[in-house]
Amino acid sequence: MSQGASILKSNRKNFLYGAGLAAFAVLPWMLGVYNQHVLIVCLFYTMMAASWNLIAGYTGQISFGHAAFAGIGAYVSGILAVKAGLNPWVGVAAGTVAAAFFGLLVGLLCLRMGGIYLSLTTLGFSEILHIIINNEYEITRGTMGLQVPGLTTSYSKISYFYIFLVGAVITLTIVYKLVHSNVGLNFRAVQNDERAASALGVDVVRTRLLAFTVSSALAGMAGALFGHYMMLITPHIPSLDQQFLVLSMTVIGGLGSFVGPVIGAFCLEILSEYIRAWGEYHVLVFGLVALVVARFAPKGLVGIYKAWRGKKRPETA
Amino acid sequence: MFAIASMNGIVIGVIYALSALGVSLVVGIMNVVNFAHGEFYILAGYFSYLFATALGMNLLAAMTLAVAIVFVFGLLVEYTLIRPTYGDDLYSLILTFILSIVLQNAYLLIFGPYPNKPPGWVRGATDIFGLFMYGNQRLAALVAGTCVIVFVFAMIKLTWFGRIIRATSQDRGMAELNGVNTTRLNMLSFGLGCALAAAAGVILAPVFPVTPTAGVPVALTAFVVVVLGGMGSLRGCIVGGLTLGLVENLGAAYLSTGYKHVFGFIILILVLAIRPSGLFGHKEA
Amino acid sequence: MRKISWLLVLTVALSLLAIGPAWSSDTIKVGVVGPRTGGAAATGKAFEEGIQLATDYVNAKGGVLNKKLEIVFEDTAGAPDKAASGFERLATRDKVVMVLGESHSSAALAEIEVANRLGIPFMVVEAWADPITAKNYRYVFRAGPSNSGVVNDTIAKWVAAEQFKKVAIVAENTDWGLGIAELTEKAMDKAGVPYLTVTTERKSQDHYMELTKLKAFDPDAVLAFVYGTGLHYFVAQAGEVGLTPKAIILDGAGPPSLWPDFWPNVGEYGDLECFVSSMHEKVELTELATQFRKSYVEAFGKAPTDYKSRSMFDAILIAADAINRAGSVDAEKLVEALEKTDLTVTRGKVTFGTEKGGPEYHHWMPPMLVIQWQNKEQVVLFPAEGATGKLKR
Repeated sequence: MSQGASILKSNRKNFLYGAGLAAFAVLPWMLGVYNQHVLIVCLFYTMMAASWNLIAGYTGQISFGHAAFAGIGAYVSGILAVKAGLNPWVGVAAGTVAAAFFGLLVGLLCLRMGGIYLSLTTLGFSEILHIIINNEYEITRGTMGLQVPGLTTSYSKISYFYIFLVGAVITLTIVYKLVHSNVGLNFRAVQNDERAASALGVDVVRTRLLAFTVSSALAGMAGALFGHYMMLITPHIPSLDQQFLVLSMTVIGGLGSFVGPVIGAFCLEILSEYIRAWGEYHVLVFGLVALVVARFAPKGLVGIYKAWRGKKRPETA
Repeated sequence: MFAIASMNGIVIGVIYALSALGVSLVVGIMNVVNFAHGEFYILAGYFSYLFATALGMNLLAAMTLAVAIVFVFGLLVEYTLIRPTYGDDLYSLILTFILSIVLQNAYLLIFGPYPNKPPGWVRGATDIFGLFMYGNQRLAALVAGTCVIVFVFAMIKLTWFGRIIRATSQDRGMAELNGVNTTRLNMLSFGLGCALAAAAGVILAPVFPVTPTAGVPVALTAFVVVVLGGMGSLRGCIVGGLTLGLVENLGAAYLSTGYKHVFGFIILILVLAIRPSGLFGHKEA
Repeated sequence: MRKISWLLVLTVALSLLAIGPAWSSDTIKVGVVGPRTGGAAATGKAFEEGIQLATDYVNAKGGVLNKKLEIVFEDTAGAPDKAASGFERLATRDKVVMVLGESHSSAALAEIEVANRLGIPFMVVEAWADPITAKNYRYVFRAGPSNSGVVNDTIAKWVAAEQFKKVAIVAENTDWGLGIAELTEKAMDKAGVPYLTVTTERKSQDHYMELTKLKAFDPDAVLAFVYGTGLHYFVAQAGEVGLTPKAIILDGAGPPSLWPDFWPNVGEYGDLECFVSSMHEKVELTELATQFRKSYVEAFGKAPTDYKSRSMFDAILIAADAINRAGSVDAEKLVEALEKTDLTVTRGKVTFGTEKGGPEYHHWMPPMLVIQWQNKEQVVLFPAEGATGKLKR
């Protein structure tokens, strides 16, 4: 391919990208209040799933503390706003930093051991956080939830939609840039063969630590934004149920693929809106779908699509 | 206060060790963490309740049958879900995590939200040396739990099957070269791990009735015990369980009842910071 | 990058799919919020039973505004954020004219904000936290107990009537447990009764250490604010360590002591346990209550146990009555009609407080009883005018 064609192609891509984004950005104007809410939640899960994918999909470390880091972001931001009267936007920044800090600490503690140690320690971390939130009722309001101010002076779904859209674009851009940088090459090297990577001079622990800290920070940002959107921060944000949703979305969409988590987040959130009417069955259905996909299509919907296209047009595969 | 806290710490510690034994065994042999461990525990509790209460079976028979069914269920899960993930430890974690959520919600539909309790083996409480009263069913669980633990240790140390298990958990490749069918061994040990969860479930359900989500804290403590004791070390499992039980109960007695479960996690973090391989773990290469 | 554009097209398409079909029909829809999944799913079951009986009752009497009453039951899973979005879904997608229900104070506190923002009348049924009505929101009503109502009108008066010298307070670490324990401490301070408060973890199954502390304090009564299965563990273990029967346990919520598995779980240690309830197995306050019991047995083949089914039944009757009197489904008219409610339901005559300032605003506090299990029979101890027996120790 000549250089000119390449530029042309990249321009076309950028154009398509911009057009798609623009189409998506005008979407809420055509929808009712309720569906605007669904879109905002979709974007929240996009942020959560994409950042979890950074650590799980690209470095192969399964963290069960992702929802907990979102919780740290939400609570730090919320408590600062309520107790110190800080501007919620400053709170969101503080929450992101706090999540990054705790991510770094947890990472330092168990990334040396990696693998299952990380999974179990993050699980323990999320449990400690839960107990603290419940017990420190005076500060966190426990299960009652902490009522916090919104991000905008007047409540409007449309403005929250754009806030979350920007948040999602920031998250996806950071993930994209990281993965397509030298560091990203290291990520994949670490995932594929730890020992070989280390022999080639890749600092395995530092690479994982970077991914883990960034991923935690992004979760913190998502959580803080979500808390201010709901205007209520509850222990449900850092719960295992939430962790389950984020994990299922990423796995169903496609673990380790860039678009996978986005597709997963949208599909599952919208699916859940449809099957919610089934009451107690809906989590079960959710779980079964996730289980079947995880078992039979470990690369998720993106993997299925690629395989299908590969069959149809073998020459381009 | 100290007497009952220590006593309760030991009893709860043995219970923790028993619940963690299955996790530890499966980690040791297959390097797979079964996230749905707590749900297998709950399933056995439900079965023993159903067989003993609804079908009026003999208590011991009901418990044995419950453990046997869960063992078979474990074999099936290994065959359908775990086997394709060999070599990818983390994928099995994802699969069993989803499985645990599926099972919790299935239990909610099948058994309802109310707690279920199989009939107790004994009633009342015993006066321990004039110091405090202690529930008889807990004492019975202590005895039964100790028996199961001793049985597992005897099996690992003394039998041909135990030798294969030890060989495989030390060096999988070498064991294969020596003619061990590791696929079948995996299936068997996963089933055994589930059966151990089930044994814990039938022993403990009369003390702590089962609900659809009661498996989550069980699995959590089991994981803490396993990391605390060192991945895959059965001896570490016992020490880890007892440590956790004692720390939690003494902490609840003297520091705060609301933070009982945090004490265990703090010990876990300390151990990870100082000796990451756990109390009895061998350092990973 | 093509991936991304493809992805965007897909998400747009999917999002368009999310636009649910808008249907109109000849029913009037009322929403119900409550936990159908999660730890308190039992309450959702009780609500469902109440809904079934109440819609049959209302529709048999001609429905509302000559249309059929339809209930849309939204699951909150007991989580405030799910509750808030569920409430919003009922109002904006299902277009309900009014919402009833809730049993978690945390969820209710999230929902009242949405109700107030959207201007949808919301009648809380079994969420007890004071601020729900103390916030004095125009659209928020409560036809059920409040924490301060239960503590001041029932528990504190009962403690005084039985002349307990020392009481222990046990609180699970939730908003309800910690909140009602604090109110109880205040009431005990006022009455000059010495007390000891112990907090316990909601998920904890083992209460031996908490119980040992209580036993050392040697109270006459233990006021237990522990919900669900936790209460069963607590009562059984209190018997094992010998705290009971010397001390009397009061279940400060009620339903867990009535759940079908209470007796299998606590065994003989359940005898002499007391609980707060708005329903007694034999004593009925109104004719409608007798009728409710009859149709309940007919419909479900068992006697009603969880009184929350009847609370929901009452709430739907109150709502139907208000809609009929308002003569429209306009929110403002509904609020006015609710404020003028004067209706006899199973638990007595309903009127809502209209004085602003405290939790009594828009609140109807149903009478609550203290009942003791004596040889598996329910004996009403309090209030004195309804008592069927004396406290046995």
